[in-house]
Amino acid sequence: MERLTTNPFLLWLVISVAVGALVWTFMRKELRTKAILYSSFLIACFVSMWPLQDKIKLGLDLKGGMHLIMKVVTDDALRATVSDGVSVASSELGRAGMPGAQVLATGNDVFTVEGVEPARAKDARTTLRDFFPATDWTLSETPAGFSLKMTDPAKRVIRERTVQDSIRTLERRVNALGVAEPVITAHGNTGDQILVQLPGVTDVVRAKDMIKRTAQLSLKLVENEAMTRELLLAPGQTEPPPTMEIVSGAGSEPGTRAFYLVRKEAVITGRDLKNARPSTSGETGLPDIQFSLTPTGAQKFGQATGDNIGRRLAVILDGSVESAPVINSRITDSGVIQGTFSQEEADTLAKVLRAGALPATLNFLQEQTVGASLGRDSIRSGVLASAAAMGFITLFMLFYYRLSGVNAVVALLANLLILLGAMAYAGATLTLPGIAGIILTVGVGVDTNVLVFERIREELRSGKTVKTAVNNGFDRVWITILDTHATALIAAAFLFQFGTGAIRGFAITLVWGLIANVFASYFVSKFLFEWVLGDRKSETLSI
Amino acid sequence: MLEILKNPNFDFLGKTKYFVSASVVLILSGFGFMLGTGVYLGEGAKGYGVEFSGGTQLIVRFEKTPETDRIRVAVPDATIQTYDDPAKNQVLVRIATADESNLDEAANAARAAIAAQYSDNRIVESSAEIVGPTVGADLRDKAIQLTVWGLIFQLLYIAWRFGGAIWGAAATVAVFHDVLVTLTFLAFFNYEITLNVIAALLTLVGYSVNDTIVIFDRARENLKLKKKDSLAKILNDSLNQTLTRTLISNGTTFLAVLGLYLFGGEVLRGFGFTMVVGILAGTYSTIYIASPLVIWWQNRQAARVPSA
Repeated sequence: MERLTTNPFLLWLVISVAVGALVWTFMRKELRTKAILYSSFLIACFVSMWPLQDKIKLGLDLKGGMHLIMKVVTDDALRATVSDGVSVASSELGRAGMPGAQVLATGNDVFTVEGVEPARAKDARTTLRDFFPATDWTLSETPAGFSLKMTDPAKRVIRERTVQDSIRTLERRVNALGVAEPVITAHGNTGDQILVQLPGVTDVVRAKDMIKRTAQLSLKLVENEAMTRELLLAPGQTEPPPTMEIVSGAGSEPGTRAFYLVRKEAVITGRDLKNARPSTSGETGLPDIQFSLTPTGAQKFGQATGDNIGRRLAVILDGSVESAPVINSRITDSGVIQGTFSQEEADTLAKVLRAGALPATLNFLQEQTVGASLGRDSIRSGVLASAAAMGFITLFMLFYYRLSGVNAVVALLANLLILLGAMAYAGATLTLPGIAGIILTVGVGVDTNVLVFERIREELRSGKTVKTAVNNGFDRVWITILDTHATALIAAAFLFQFGTGAIRGFAITLVWGLIANVFASYFVSKFLFEWVLGDRKSETLSI
Repeated sequence: MLEILKNPNFDFLGKTKYFVSASVVLILSGFGFMLGTGVYLGEGAKGYGVEFSGGTQLIVRFEKTPETDRIRVAVPDATIQTYDDPAKNQVLVRIATADESNLDEAANAARAAIAAQYSDNRIVESSAEIVGPTVGADLRDKAIQLTVWGLIFQLLYIAWRFGGAIWGAAATVAVFHDVLVTLTFLAFFNYEITLNVIAALLTLVGYSVNDTIVIFDRARENLKLKKKDSLAKILNDSLNQTLTRTLISNGTTFLAVLGLYLFGGEVLRGFGFTMVVGILAGTYSTIYIASPLVIWWQNRQAARVPSA
C-alpha cells in the first residue's frame, strides 16, 4: 500500500486500470478508446500534481527568498593570466641565460619584455614563443624589446571559463549555506552575468557575504612594515620595485593598521589549500582558521618557509593583510590564519576557503528579497482571486448554458488539472503572475466553450438536428480556436524571453494553459457531448 | 434557451467616424497628459517601477502603526508611501539611486536610519529590491524589443492565415490602439509601469488579436458563403453573429481580471488594472477600429481601380 502511494507510475496504472474497466463495462463501444485514452491522460496529470503543495514549486515571490544578478569582472582573470605569464616569462628567460630581462605587465592583456641584450634577441624570441603559443599570444617587437598581447579568441576562452568557474564556486558555497533548490546559472546576453536564486533565504547579509567574498588567499613574504605607504618607498620613488607591492591591513600590534611591502610572487595561494576549518587559537582564545595543503602546495610551502626562517609571512585575503606572523620553523602541510574574526566570520571564511576562491570579483547588479510574510500574503490573495474568478464563471456558465454549462465546468476542471499536472511534471515554477496566468487560462477556456456553444445554438436555430448542430458547431469553430491559440502562443513565447523570475512563471502557465485548453475545452468537451447525446434520438439540447 | 440578445442586428459600422475620432482624441489627450506631466515619456520620465528605472525600494512592516513623517525625517531623500492595506502597517520606501559599485549602500543607510528612529517599534523587512542602472536599462530595452517583435510575428501570422496584409495590419492597429488607450488610463490613474504591467500589456496584445481573429474568421467564412454582399455588410453581419460570444467571453474574462484587481493584493493591482482596461479597449477596438480599417482599405483599393 505504501508503495502504491509513493510510486506515481504504479498509482497511475492502478487507477487507470480501474477506470478503464468501468469504461469498458459501461461505455458504448465507439467511445471506449477515446474514453480510456482521455481518462488515463487526466489521471496521469492528477497523479503528477497531487498533493499540490508538495508537487508545485513556488517562486521566490511566493515562498520568500533572494534573487541576485551579478556581473563577473572577467578583466580580473585576464590580469591574473598576464601576471602568471610575467612570472613564467621571467623565470624561463632566466633559465635560458638572460637573467637581465625585465618582464612587466603593462595592461589587462599585455606584458612587455625589456633589457634583453641585442645579441640574444633571437634566443629570447624563441624562448618566448615556446611558452606563449601564437594562438593565444601575439608577439611583437618594440624598440625596447618584445610585447606579448593576448589574442581575442584566447581572451574569449578565459572570460567564458571565468564565468563557468565562478558558477561552480558559487554552487559549492551555496551548498555550504544549506539552501534547498538553489538556482545558479549564467544570465543575459552579455556573457558575464550570473543569476543566483536562493529560495527561503532571508538572512540577506550573511548570504551575500558568503557569495560575494572573492576569498583570494595568498601568503607572501614581507620585506618591510610601516605606518604609511611613503615610508616603504625608496627615496624619490612613487612606486615600489616591479617585483614588490604594497598591501595594507592589520598591524603587528592589535587594533592598529599598517602597510606592508611584500614580494609580488605568492608563496602559496588559495588553490594550494586542501581543507580549511574554523577553530580557536590556543594562545589568545580568539577564533581563527586552520588550513591544510595539497601535496604540491605543501612542497612549495615547505621550501619557502625552510629558506626564510625568521622572516615574516603576510596572510593576504582579498587584498588585505589579515596577519603577518614570523616564520619560526619549516612548515609543510598545514597552517593557521589569525586575525580579528568573530566566530561567525571565521566559520563563513572557512567555508568560503573550502569552496575555493572566485576567479574574479563579482559586482551586484540587482538584488531582490521577498520576506516569507509577504509571500504568504501573495499566496492568500492569489488563491482568493482565483477562487472568485472560478466561482463566478462556474455560476454564470451553469445559469446561462444549463446542462451544457456542466460540460463547460468539467472542461474547465480538466483544463486546470492538465495545466497543474504539466507544470508539476516539468518542474515549472509557480509565481504570483503565474497565478494570474492561471486565471487568464480559465478565461480562455471559457471563451473556447462559448465559441462552440454559441455556434451550436446558431445551428439549432437554423433548424438542424441536435447531433448535426453539435458536430457542425465543433467543426466550424476549430479553425478559429487554432488561430486564436496560435497568436496567444506567439505572445507567450515572447514573454518567455524575459528570462527570469516572475514573468517567466507567467509565460509558462500561459503556454501550458493554452495547450491544456485546446485539449480540455475542445476534445474533452466534444467527447462529453458525444457521450451524453449518445445514440438517443434526442430532439432537444439543454444549452 | 436563455439569450442575452435575440438575433442582434446593429449597424456597427455606420457611425465609424465618431468612434475613431473619439479614440484618436483619447489617445492624443493621453500623450498630452504624459508629456505635460513627464510620466512615461521624455527624458528622465517618471512612472516606471524600480526594475526599469533602477534604484532602491524597501517594503518595511512595523509592529505598531508608524508615523510616515518620522520616516521622512530618517530618510530625507526617499519617497515614502503606505503600502497595501493600512492595517498591515507597511511602508514603501523608494530611493532613486542605486550605485552599481556598491549596490546596497542606499538600502543599508535607509535601514539603519529607520531602525534608529523606531527603536520602540519592531520592524520586519517584507521585501527589498535594488536595481543597478545597467539592469534597469537592459530590461527596458528588452521589454520594448519583445513587445515590438511579438506584434510583428502576430501580424505575420494573421497576414498568412487570412491571405492579405490588410487583415494583419488592421488587427495590429487595433492592438496598438488598445495598448495606447491602456497606457493613457495607466497614466491618468497614476500607475507605475512595472514588469507585471508589461506582462499584462503583452497578454493584452494576445487577447486583443484573439478577439479580432474571431470576427475576421467569421467574415472569411461569410465571404465564401455570400459572394454578392459587400465587404461592409459581411463584416457588419459577422460582428452581429459573434456579438453574443463577444459579450459573454469578454464579460467573463473581464470579471475574472476584475477579481484579480480587487482581490489580487497590492502586487497584482497594476496587472489587474491593465487587464481590466485592456479587455474593455480590446472589445471596443475589434468592433470600431479593426473592421472599419479593413473596409476603408478595400474601398480605397476599389476607388483606385474603377471596375467596369
